Amino acid sequence: MTEASSGSGSGRGQLRPGLWDTVNERYPGSMIDKMDFVPLAPVRKPLSECRLVFVSTSGVQPKGTMPFDTVHPVGDYSFRRVPSSARPEDLEIHQIKYPTMGANRDINVIFPIERLRELADEGVIGGLTENFYTFIGYNMDPERLERTLAAEIATAVSEEGADIALAAPA
Amino acid sequence: MSLQYLKDAVAAGDREKLIRYVRLHFGDGNEEVGRKEIDKAWSEALKPLLDVPPTDREFILETIRTRDAATLAHLYFHLHFYFVQRSGEWIHDGSL
Repeated sequence: MTEASSGSGSGRGQLRPGLWDTVNERYPGSMIDKMDFVPLAPVRKPLSECRLVFVSTSGVQPKGTMPFDTVHPVGDYSFRRVPSSARPEDLEIHQIKYPTMGANRDINVIFPIERLRELADEGVIGGLTENFYTFIGYNMDPERLERTLAAEIATAVSEEGADIALAAPA
Repeated sequence: MSLQYLKDAVAAGDREKLIRYVRLHFGDGNEEVGRKEIDKAWSEALKPLLDVPPTDREFILETIRTRDAATLAHLYFHLHFYFVQRSGEWIHDGSL
C-alpha cells in the first residue's frame, strides 16, 4: 500500500485530490483517519491452490434472512453468510445507496458468485470457501464497524480456511 | 458525519446539526432533496387520514406504551421510507 492510497488527510497524499474535503463538506467529521499502517498479506501459494472468500458491501443476502437495515440513520453492523453454492434466484438485495436495477437482472454484476464458481471450476483458483460474506456500506461509526463487523467477518473467514480474499465495495 | 460529531451536537443542543444529518440521510447526501423527502413523507401520511377511516388506535397506543424509545425511533425512520415508497416517487438508487 502506498501513501497515496493509505492517507486520508489532505496533506498526506491521495488518489483523488480534494475528495476528502468534498466529502467532509457534505458529511462533516465522517472521514476515517486511519493512521495505522496495515501491511498487505503476501500470497504464499499459487492462485490455483488458493481457497477464495468473497467479502462484499453489496447488501446481497439469501432470501428469507433478516433484511439489511437500510433505514437506520447510523447504519447496520450485521453481516450475512451467503453460501458460495447459492443460486442467483435464491438471493436478493437490500441496499438503497447504489443503483440495484442492473444487479436485480443479473446479480453477478455486483456479486459475481457464478463467475467465481467458474474460476474455481476452471482451476484458476483452488476453490471457494463454503460461504461468502456481505454487509451494507452505510455505517457511520467506523470504530464500531472495526470492533464488531470487521472482526466477526475476519474470524469467520479465518475459520473457513480462506487463503485469499476478494473484497469489493458496492 | 461521524457518530461523535452527532453526539457532540446532542450534548451542545445543536438541533440544526442533527436535522441536517437527517436531511442528508433521507436525501442521499443532498440536504435540499432530504428536506423535500421529509415533506413528501408527511404529506403522504396525511392523505390516508383525510376521510377519517377507522384506524387501529389500540395498536398505536399499545406500541407507544410498551416499546422503548429506540425501537419507536427506528420505526419512525421506517415509516418515513414507507410513506416515501407509497408516494411512488422513489429517489433512491436501490431498494429497501
